Amino acid sequence: MDGVLWYVLTGTRGGENRVRILKALDERPRNANKLAEALELDYTTVRHHLDVLCDNDVLRKQGGDYGAIYLPTDRARQHWETVEQIMEKVE
Amino acid sequence: MSLWLQVIWAAAALNVVLLLGLTYVWGRNYTQFRSKHTLGLAAFGLILLAENATALYLFYFHPQLSAWIAAQAPIAHLAVGGLRLLELVAIAFLAWTTWD
Repeated sequence: MDGVLWYVLTGTRGGENRVRILKALDERPRNANKLAEALELDYTTVRHHLDVLCDNDVLRKQGGDYGAIYLPTDRARQHWETVEQIMEKVE
Repeated sequence: MSLWLQVIWAAAALNVVLLLGLTYVWGRNYTQFRSKHTLGLAAFGLILLAENATALYLFYFHPQLSAWIAAQAPIAHLAVGGLRLLELVAIAFLAWTTWD
């Protein structure tokens, strides 16, 4: 999991925004729309990053379709030290 | 210039372009995250970029060297080009996943 986190958050073009998304969802789980608003990002960009983070088992979806909120998975929680270590670098 | 030689140098040129993009992304991420992981990726990109730039230089600007190899050992000429093409496929995959 540590390797996945390093790769998905720091090895790709969209890494920085993924870290911001993860940080926002750690503070308060929310839906894609609210997330795009809070981070001042394009809605489709946010959706893309959410899908990638879900695919890699970093985030999970709760609830149906458009209102679905996103939150970190248990697996991500178990490796939260790594996430925090990465977050420190993005301020 | 033989067709095979043109294929080889075109592959090397594409590799250089893709690696410039990859090294840019990884290098930028390294300046931000300063992690071992991103350092590894950035160094990998840079070194492979140097390797492909050298190959492009040899194949494109020294066709006589390549022609000499082709004349001495046609199988080596084919094999080296095949390796370059495989490298292009590998780098293209890496670019596809990194561009996310």
